Amino acid sequence: MAGFFNKIKSASTPSTAQATKDVVPKKKDEIVPELTPLEKMLQNAGPLREDGTDKFFGFENALFYSDLFRESVINYPSLSPSGTPNGSRPKVNVTIRPPMPAPPPQQQKKGISNKEAMKQRQAINNGQPVPGQPVVKPEDKPDTPEYKKKHAMLKGPILELAQENAVGYGMDECTFTGLKDIFLAVLQSSTRTGVLSPQRFLEIFKRDNEMFRNSMHQDAHEFYGLVLNDVIANVEANARRLQEQLDIKGNSELAHSVQTALGSALMNNMTGYRTPGTGWVHDIFEGVLTSETKCLTCETASQRDETFLDLSIDLEQHSSVTSCLRKFSAEEMLCERNKFHCDHCGGLQEAEKRMKVKRLPKVLTLHLKRFKYTEDYSRLQKLFHRVVYPYHLRMFNTTDDAEDPDRMYELYAVVVHIGGNAYHGHYVSIIKTKDRGWVLFDDEMVEPVDKHFVRNFFGDKPGMATAYVLFYQETTFEKVREEQEREGMEEVKLATQAANIAQDESSDKPDPAPLKRQVTTPVVMPEHESLATLAHAATATGVPLPTSPIIESPKIPEMPFVAAQGVGLTGKNATKIETKSRDDLKREKKEREAAEKAAKQAEKEKEKLREKQLREDDKKRKEDHMKAMQARRNEQDELAKVLEASKKSAAVEEAARKKEEGGSSGFLDRSKRGSKSMSKRSFSFFKDRNSSLDTTTNGDAPEKEKEKEKKTGRMSIGLGRKRSTPFLA
Amino acid sequence: MFVLPPPPRYPAGAYGVGLGGVVPLIETNNTLSNPSGPEFRFLVGEGTYVLKEDLNLATPPPHPSEAPVVNPNPLATTPQPATAGTKMSILSLESRPPPFFYRGPSATTLSLTGGTLSIQEHPSESRYSTEGGMSSDDGRAASSEGPAASTTFGSAPAFGEGNSLLAPTVSKDVNKKKKPKNNVTKSNSSFISRVIVNDSLARKLTERPLDGLFAFANINRAFQWLDMSSPTKQDYLTKILFTKAHCLCHDVNMVTKSVSHIDVIMGFSTGEIIWWEPISQRYTRLNKNGIINNTPVAEIRWIPGSENLFLAAHMDGLLVVYDKEKEDGHLNPEEEGLTASGSGSEGELSNGSAISNGIRGIRINKSVHSKNQKTNPVAAWKLSNQRINAFSFSPDNRHLAVVSEDGTLRVIDYLSEKLLHLYHSYYGGLSCVCWTPDGKYVLTGGQDDLISIWSIADKALVARCQGHRSWVSALAFDLWRCDDRNYRFGSVGEDGRLCLWDFSVGMLHRPKTVAPTLHRGSVSSKFTAPHRTDTNMSMNSDGKGSIPEDEWEENVIEHAVQPRAVIPMLPPVLTHVVDSHPACWLAFTEDAVITSCKQGHVRTWNRPGVPTGNEEKA
Repeated sequence: MAGFFNKIKSASTPSTAQATKDVVPKKKDEIVPELTPLEKMLQNAGPLREDGTDKFFGFENALFYSDLFRESVINYPSLSPSGTPNGSRPKVNVTIRPPMPAPPPQQQKKGISNKEAMKQRQAINNGQPVPGQPVVKPEDKPDTPEYKKKHAMLKGPILELAQENAVGYGMDECTFTGLKDIFLAVLQSSTRTGVLSPQRFLEIFKRDNEMFRNSMHQDAHEFYGLVLNDVIANVEANARRLQEQLDIKGNSELAHSVQTALGSALMNNMTGYRTPGTGWVHDIFEGVLTSETKCLTCETASQRDETFLDLSIDLEQHSSVTSCLRKFSAEEMLCERNKFHCDHCGGLQEAEKRMKVKRLPKVLTLHLKRFKYTEDYSRLQKLFHRVVYPYHLRMFNTTDDAEDPDRMYELYAVVVHIGGNAYHGHYVSIIKTKDRGWVLFDDEMVEPVDKHFVRNFFGDKPGMATAYVLFYQETTFEKVREEQEREGMEEVKLATQAANIAQDESSDKPDPAPLKRQVTTPVVMPEHESLATLAHAATATGVPLPTSPIIESPKIPEMPFVAAQGVGLTGKNATKIETKSRDDLKREKKEREAAEKAAKQAEKEKEKLREKQLREDDKKRKEDHMKAMQARRNEQDELAKVLEASKKSAAVEEAARKKEEGGSSGFLDRSKRGSKSMSKRSFSFFKDRNSSLDTTTNGDAPEKEKEKEKKTGRMSIGLGRKRSTPFLA
Repeated sequence: MFVLPPPPRYPAGAYGVGLGGVVPLIETNNTLSNPSGPEFRFLVGEGTYVLKEDLNLATPPPHPSEAPVVNPNPLATTPQPATAGTKMSILSLESRPPPFFYRGPSATTLSLTGGTLSIQEHPSESRYSTEGGMSSDDGRAASSEGPAASTTFGSAPAFGEGNSLLAPTVSKDVNKKKKPKNNVTKSNSSFISRVIVNDSLARKLTERPLDGLFAFANINRAFQWLDMSSPTKQDYLTKILFTKAHCLCHDVNMVTKSVSHIDVIMGFSTGEIIWWEPISQRYTRLNKNGIINNTPVAEIRWIPGSENLFLAAHMDGLLVVYDKEKEDGHLNPEEEGLTASGSGSEGELSNGSAISNGIRGIRINKSVHSKNQKTNPVAAWKLSNQRINAFSFSPDNRHLAVVSEDGTLRVIDYLSEKLLHLYHSYYGGLSCVCWTPDGKYVLTGGQDDLISIWSIADKALVARCQGHRSWVSALAFDLWRCDDRNYRFGSVGEDGRLCLWDFSVGMLHRPKTVAPTLHRGSVSSKFTAPHRTDTNMSMNSDGKGSIPEDEWEENVIEHAVQPRAVIPMLPPVLTHVVDSHPACWLAFTEDAVITSCKQGHVRTWNRPGVPTGNEEKA
């Protein structure tokens, strides 16, 4: 959703979405593809799946990841009138652009708008610009979203839907066919990652929806509503046509969707045609609300049912989604200008009204009304209320006769709005994929994130990023439990990372440590899960960080791995203790000093070295990791051996680190997770690096920005800290 | 069509600027204010509570060596250190009897393995208040015990009893308690950044009233020792600034406290633990560099009645018992294979499956009965891989209630290291837990905005309390308003509200529709939720299928989630916004209710009839 959405924002600039990143230029004109976190995660993914759940294209959105919806869309015209043989899907006409050394002009344009925003971001956040320093373009700096987006474009493959397949589906070209084409294209793609241009879809969408035919930033929630409505309308129109065997031309959805466009929650009353096979959109997203109105004069209660595709809920400061939903169903007095027309006693009467959910949808879409019209400014203002949302939910506001009123929902997608007001901003989405955990989709950039990342958008964090639309899908208690058990390892890992962030420097000071501390052991419980899952868990969580030389290895320290492979024993692996040997500590200290020197070296050199080192490290780590996984299973040995092994491993590791040092200038922002030793080193680089960042990022960024702004006349991203108001001006 | 709007004007400060995001750049002092107005008082049945004062603990700036983590990108995946708002440990040095004595109707002793698991506190219960649930306000109440603790060992055996290695070395002189080894003020540890001791500390300590309250409070990387009885309580007695680690939890030992000795333990975001003795300003580091466990400590408590042992909940689901005076050892689960078999069948039974499914039991990584007790940990129990948010000892000192981020409540017999019950929240994680003063009920609060009341005797959920508008963050009983049949407790939540609740045994046992909650014992007799059954739960929890019925008593009992319709829903007797920030802790004292929030505001709400300082001045 967010992916699409940005495309609309930059109306004239067709853009693509992507899923890979970090192509690292090794030499100036040579592009060496580097494994991205996402790719790493996918490395042991096995064969491609039929259902497309393991595709990670930049465009993807909450709708695609709703299994039900995706399958329905794909399978919808089950018997295509044009006689497509059953079983073979019409091939979508896709142009796959090869990865290009240079992005095509149109994309560059898009890139610019991003850069622009990013520069602003950085300028704002890095404080005072340091004049006279060379400016590094944001997109050249690894770790920035721009960089990743750019390289995703470079890497490709880029899927462009050249033309519609509508005829193949026996339907006129419409929003539905556009969406279906996109889904199919992703499904049929032979790669797991890539960039997909939704341009064609957007053209159709804009054609049908006048509102979106401009360069304004649009509302993701409206967009969602419109898309769903269009799909419903398209499908129904099609069904109607088939049924009546009439050649009805044109899609009726236009008028309808425009009518219902403006941010209404209960946007549809499409009670019309519900032929079998066409109601699937309703089945998935539609619930039924009952509004009970009780006339206070004659005490007559009347009920009216209405369907909804999502619930727009009012927010209040420091509340939870649960509470907002309850408030949604709280009693409301209809009085004064808002009186109720009572059929029983006739005329306008005061009444009590309350809305309850009569039928729960399979996918519950909650739209948080963050944009509120304020009379003072006569404009929409964004509310930064802190609204917490749990990973699981049950609805309190059901009617007594509702079926399964205790239905369990799980959060599976969050659309995040970044920006200070209702008129500008950027959307990203965070989606829980079937078995690869949470993934962040930001335009072309797709990145795995950890589960706790989802909680960054309650509204109380700096950066003006807030959850805007929440998607909860039906689940069961059993599934939740199973999943929690699966996630266990990741939780442990995150907890460890959290601790390491705050790890003190005291470990830099070598304390006389008793010998017994020399055994380093990973946090992973050996007998916990099958090898495959373990491997996955580890990689998946190691991934969220973009590349940097001192990046976390999946938090498991390297030492035990070496030990495991070297001696084939790690009797201690099962313990969850990470310790530092004296050697270790000394070595670290040395390293740190050396690294500090290194950090002062010229930036360019470092960059190169770093990239190189990074690749090596990744490889090494992966190997080590895999070996350790296996070794850990047949662990059983005495302490003495372990000690030896760890000494050896320390030596090995030291050697490795020495190599590494050259390139260890490091990145601050993301380098702090990972193994303890790693994070500590990154701390030590922190200062140096920080200053260099300042110098490199600021420069004359603001001026450039202004220029670019003039050119494009809009910005697609409004980031930065709240108080730095001028940047959106 | 829209016209492009004028440039945005952000409401400075009010919104958006994160509650957690405001990081001061210069060090500030605590401030004390006395706001008044209608919003600073609230009326309950017994009268009006009035805000006495608002003590704002200064949030320390980041350590100079620590570059401020300001990432412009709101999508940055940089993990932030764990923080936990401000919590307090309150302590009174004076001995005073608890507000009331709980005398159970019958003096039946507990049968731990039998089917009739009814928890009645021992008639000579004098310790319950030590553990007054989550609240640490037990200072006053608890003081009666102290050295007399050994008498209660008779009723509930002391933790680790039977293991001669753990037998407490009897200290001949109370005033010669063993102190930690390092001087905190002269410390050159890089773990501790700075220690500021009040210039007139000695004078203050001698001049203060004996029954005055001490408070220990954490805020981010600072830890403060305050004298709540002082008119200038904003002047801390001691303030410790840690370099990077954030203090997340702390507790004061009620057994060893005296005028010359206070044992404080603190758990940190690094997983490390500090034992600090404020009077002599000495400290010891435990779990140094995370040698025993390297995940943050979410909750830490002294084991009731113990001088040396305390329990820490690490966020990877491990409960560890430490001895404050022992060196860190190496936690080696292998050795438990041996010890667990000695400790009983449950240990073995759960050993294999526990870790993989996290349900059937607890895995005993090291038993308290282990023969190797030279070093820490004394015991270590792995509950699951999910983060533990809080735990609470039962007033009878036999049981432990543990709540986790995955929404589970575990009732553990920690003396015999057995998991007895496993309950689930309605949905979402559970964040706090506490026992009724008589130990008959356990209360939990969590991310479903509810407080759930679980009956130990009935082994079932008996009520849900709805009143918070966001997640519930802390619970505490008001011992001064509880009696044999009626309970008063308070709760605070992320909505910044304080809710007060009254419930009585009669209310709880009046079922709303059917009476599934009254059935005792086996889950099978229970109402079956429409969407799930107990059987399939046990099946999928370990894939082994349901356990035969006769094993239920011995195995852990996992309880089904009860549908909303069959559980009574209690309303609060009061809800009041006590803070403009999410609240995170509360406690009841004889004179007041004290609340704190994530921004360090500690507010004291005087009980009806207690004069506020403001009035006195006027």
